[in-house]
Amino acid sequence: MTGFTTSAIHGVALKRDVHGSLRVPVYDTVAFEFDSAKDINQAFAGRKPAHTYSRITNPTVEDFEQRIRLVSGGATAIAVSSGMAAITNVILTLAGAGTNIVTSKHLFGNTLSLFEKTLKPWGLEIRYADMSDPATVSRAIDNNTRAVFLESITNPQLEVADFRALSAITQDHSVPLVVDNTVTTPYLFRTRDSGVNVEVLSSTKYITGGATSLGGVIIDNGNFDWRNSPRLKDWGIKMGPLAMLGALRREIYRNVGSCLAPHHAYLQSLGLETLSLRIDRSCGNTLALAEFLQQHDKVASVHYPGLPDSAYHTNAKEQFCGRYGGILTFDLNSKHECFKLMDSLKLVKRATNVNDNKTLILHPASTIFCEYPDGVLSEIGVRHTMIRLSVGIEDFEDLKNDLEGGLAIL
Amino acid sequence: MQITVNGEANELNEAEINLAKLLDIRQVESPEMVAVQLNGEFVEMKNYTSTYLKTGDDVEFLYFMGGGSR
Repeated sequence: MTGFTTSAIHGVALKRDVHGSLRVPVYDTVAFEFDSAKDINQAFAGRKPAHTYSRITNPTVEDFEQRIRLVSGGATAIAVSSGMAAITNVILTLAGAGTNIVTSKHLFGNTLSLFEKTLKPWGLEIRYADMSDPATVSRAIDNNTRAVFLESITNPQLEVADFRALSAITQDHSVPLVVDNTVTTPYLFRTRDSGVNVEVLSSTKYITGGATSLGGVIIDNGNFDWRNSPRLKDWGIKMGPLAMLGALRREIYRNVGSCLAPHHAYLQSLGLETLSLRIDRSCGNTLALAEFLQQHDKVASVHYPGLPDSAYHTNAKEQFCGRYGGILTFDLNSKHECFKLMDSLKLVKRATNVNDNKTLILHPASTIFCEYPDGVLSEIGVRHTMIRLSVGIEDFEDLKNDLEGGLAIL
Repeated sequence: MQITVNGEANELNEAEINLAKLLDIRQVESPEMVAVQLNGEFVEMKNYTSTYLKTGDDVEFLYFMGGGSR
């Protein structure tokens, strides 16, 4: 087995390019031509290995999917148009009206909104549990539970669950464990090794490298017997470990139409090749900045799993290869101070994204969580005094100097 | 032996044949990418050699383009 970065660079040998191109070209086409009516019929029936229509499959997207599958250690991978599309497709595949999913209130704001405001009105019950207390998760699961969903590091609370403990519970209940691995990626967290069944990623973040394009990925780790899923039972009988891929490709993903654009797939394959280098650098910068901020007298508190006094330090250290991600949060004394600091920065950008090459700063309560009233914000651990810093790969001293200058004027 | 492969009737001369041999003699394109169904049920690759066919069986060789593997 080759290493992560070798696999990311070389991918899976598909058909050799007609010109011998070392990089799979961008197949910016909608449809593919066939020699006969029978051929196109056979391709639609799945009896011929051929692309038919780029909403379903595309050679450039396939190259990206195969690379992701390889580096993640998963059984199958499907690329979609965004991380949110990945989550939506997975929930539509596993659950439905009259069923429930068990999750945490500590989620990315748009994911919480998807569950509460978009899917709940369609009859899906959303149950909340404390993912740091597996017993509460076990109690929330019943016969109508179709998935347990959480994030590898919650955004922006930066909590880390014990995934082996959670997977032991979901295995007992024959319910798939779904993890959003965006901020750790398969480089830091091989979800399969912790018993996670399905992984979703926003490849817009670390993977794409430099925030060039939107994208998402669904990885089936191949360790759940889909014959035990009421929604996928028939697919499980017909397709075995390929059941989820089959249901997505031939029904849900195909019908929803949230496909990844070939040009974005090209950019994300390129990004994947340097992922490990960028994450190593970003994690190093983040830890150094967390330590710097923790010592600063204008900063009320710093939250980062890499700090030894974090309640999640041990979980992160043991599960994420001794690294802790590229996001930290810190609190100042007021929202006014947060805005003042943000406005004073010259290098760090005010923008809503994470895991870019550039360091980005955001006030979560007034942006990605602005749709929620104070009562809800308090419940989900988003404070008006909190700033989120997504740390890029710049030179540490430049980042420190920029923040030091901003903090000095408070 | 009369079987159906990908929807078409096939007469096989072999008295005894397993799925691995059928994949071989049919010269199935990109066999590493194909999923096999026997009478509507998925057959794991590890069982290809131990799964013998009988008259009337319905075999499908199916491809999942994109990020799939057997």
